[in-house]
Amino acid sequence: MLQTLAQMGAGFLNALTPINLLLMAAGVAMGIVIGCMPGLSAAMGVALMLPMTFTMKPETGLIVLGAIYCGAIFGGSISAILIHTPGTPASAATAIEGYQMTLQGKAGKALFTASYASFWGGLLSCISLYFFAPLLAQLTLKFMSAEYFWLSIFGLTIIAGVAGKSLLKGLMSGALGLLLSTIGLDPILGAKRFMFGQAYFAEGINTTCALIGLFSMSQVFILAEKKITERAQAAKVTDKMSLTREERRIIRPTIFRSWIIGNLIGILPGAGASIACFLGYNTSKQFSKHKEKFGRGSIEGVAGSEAANNAVTGGSLIPTLTLGIPGESVTAVLMGGLVIQGLTPGPELFGKYAPMTYTFFAGFVLVQFFMLGIGLLGCKGFAQISRLSDAILIPCVTVLCVVGSYAIHKNMLDIVVMLIFGVLGYLMRKFDLNTAAVVLALILGPIGEKGLRNALRISEGNISILFSSVVCWVLIALCIVGIVSPFLMAKMEKKAEADAVAGTDEDLGKLTEEDSV
Amino acid sequence: MKEKMKLSDIGVVLFMYAVCAYFYTQNLQLKPESQTYPRFTIILLFALTTMYLVKMLIQAFKNGVHKGKDEAFKDFQPAQFFVSLALVVLYVVMINFIGFYIATFIFMTLLLLYLKVPKLHALIAVVAIMLLIYLAFGLFLKVKLPEGVWLKPLLKQLR
Repeated sequence: MLQTLAQMGAGFLNALTPINLLLMAAGVAMGIVIGCMPGLSAAMGVALMLPMTFTMKPETGLIVLGAIYCGAIFGGSISAILIHTPGTPASAATAIEGYQMTLQGKAGKALFTASYASFWGGLLSCISLYFFAPLLAQLTLKFMSAEYFWLSIFGLTIIAGVAGKSLLKGLMSGALGLLLSTIGLDPILGAKRFMFGQAYFAEGINTTCALIGLFSMSQVFILAEKKITERAQAAKVTDKMSLTREERRIIRPTIFRSWIIGNLIGILPGAGASIACFLGYNTSKQFSKHKEKFGRGSIEGVAGSEAANNAVTGGSLIPTLTLGIPGESVTAVLMGGLVIQGLTPGPELFGKYAPMTYTFFAGFVLVQFFMLGIGLLGCKGFAQISRLSDAILIPCVTVLCVVGSYAIHKNMLDIVVMLIFGVLGYLMRKFDLNTAAVVLALILGPIGEKGLRNALRISEGNISILFSSVVCWVLIALCIVGIVSPFLMAKMEKKAEADAVAGTDEDLGKLTEEDSV
Repeated sequence: MKEKMKLSDIGVVLFMYAVCAYFYTQNLQLKPESQTYPRFTIILLFALTTMYLVKMLIQAFKNGVHKGKDEAFKDFQPAQFFVSLALVVLYVVMINFIGFYIATFIFMTLLLLYLKVPKLHALIAVVAIMLLIYLAFGLFLKVKLPEGVWLKPLLKQLR
């Protein structure tokens, strides 16, 4: 206990270096810019910035990626409030109340509420990150080769159901990724496999290039295929950006409830910030003493949605760092960053690499303060950036994708691989296949392969070794849960979304009736 | 509403089968010990694709068929898309010959002007991105970006 506290303290001391603080601020600002632009997503932003973190210390690199993640989730609320277009799906519920407040000339109040609630949601989520992550990591000490094989399968079943319309297509995407992960030298025998006569592929497909291609370059193609239209003018902030003491008191319980919701949703694989924001919004409405204000610009609605979506960030890092199972696209990319730094999720992160992990956690706490400060000071400016035309974004993002993939090994073939994965990602998105599943399979594939082959070597080919321990059976059960959970999550999201819209319509209906009377 | 079979999904199924077929033939050329795991992943992809094909056929018989292509490519701007794609490919090829900075300048200028961005905005975007890359990658990360085979001798002489 004392040792953990000492490590936590040391983490803060390490995180408080000038370079870390500078990069936190830059990461948050970059994240907010990415988040507030409706064409760009948090996963895309993190993938794009991944190569820039290679030359940094692992903890610094992870802090930067965490800062972009948090900034992007918060940034979506700015365009949701000021132009009624959520920058990311995580802010869809914020747009309901936030834009109503803007129409009433209370844009400043709405932005302050969003920043304040996001800050507390993110900060409180760090508590569970600190306390649950090491405990869960201890569990993985019991893992042997067979368990690692099942763990990789579990990870794939989870991600296959995320963000896709069809579970079967998600699983197909995962299987395609597994097949692509076999390209390169055989990890046990060292024999060449599917290398197309290129020594370049000896180490397999470069995961970072694949990440940049699948998430960022594919987005360029998505933007390039649509007619370029001008975005709506951002509303002017005319009121003061603050909340009265009474208003802060009103939203306090809402933030607390949304923190719990967001955190649980974050920990649950398969769910994400887009579900959390609607659940947070609905719960704030259920418990509100001012239900009549919902649909007419309620600060509780904004706070409920924003605290919940930011509380997801800390929660979602728990399964990612401990089991190596990211619950959504952004954490899949973040895990890519971790693996590329040569780190493996699990107990090692809390043992051998504990100083690095606790520095990252401390950085994640500090990032929330930067998010509050930069969010409050710069949201008027960010709102203008959110109007940036897709015509400008297309070449800018392309150049960043190209330079990012080249910077890893200074090899032109990396750019070609990125481009191929960009086209593949574009087509996959068009036909409802799941790009996150491919990425995760590329990361988990080699772990699963080593696990399976080592287990079979130990048992001299006897397949029963894969079913020989309680942990194996628990993981098999979790795989089944992983397959079923997307259906439940989709139902939950639809219900929460329908409740939010129906409730708002009902309130507006009543309001119109009252007005006509 | 009952889900109809998407015609465009036939392409997805064919692509997956083609991938399986390619890897299967390549896998046969490997040492027997190296074949096991790739074979497992090929069978997995083949089985899932077949399951999806069966699902599609059931949907087609029960609910009918519709062109998924129209849905996926709604508002598709062919000229804009293919010109952008061609410029991106050309950009990647040209980096090798004329170096990163010149290729980036030409690529960005051409694409921004093609996408009808006002000239001043285009100029600001080009300068801002090139400056950002120079500061972040050139100075901060010390990444030596490609100089281009055509320009390398000239740059060597200048140095």
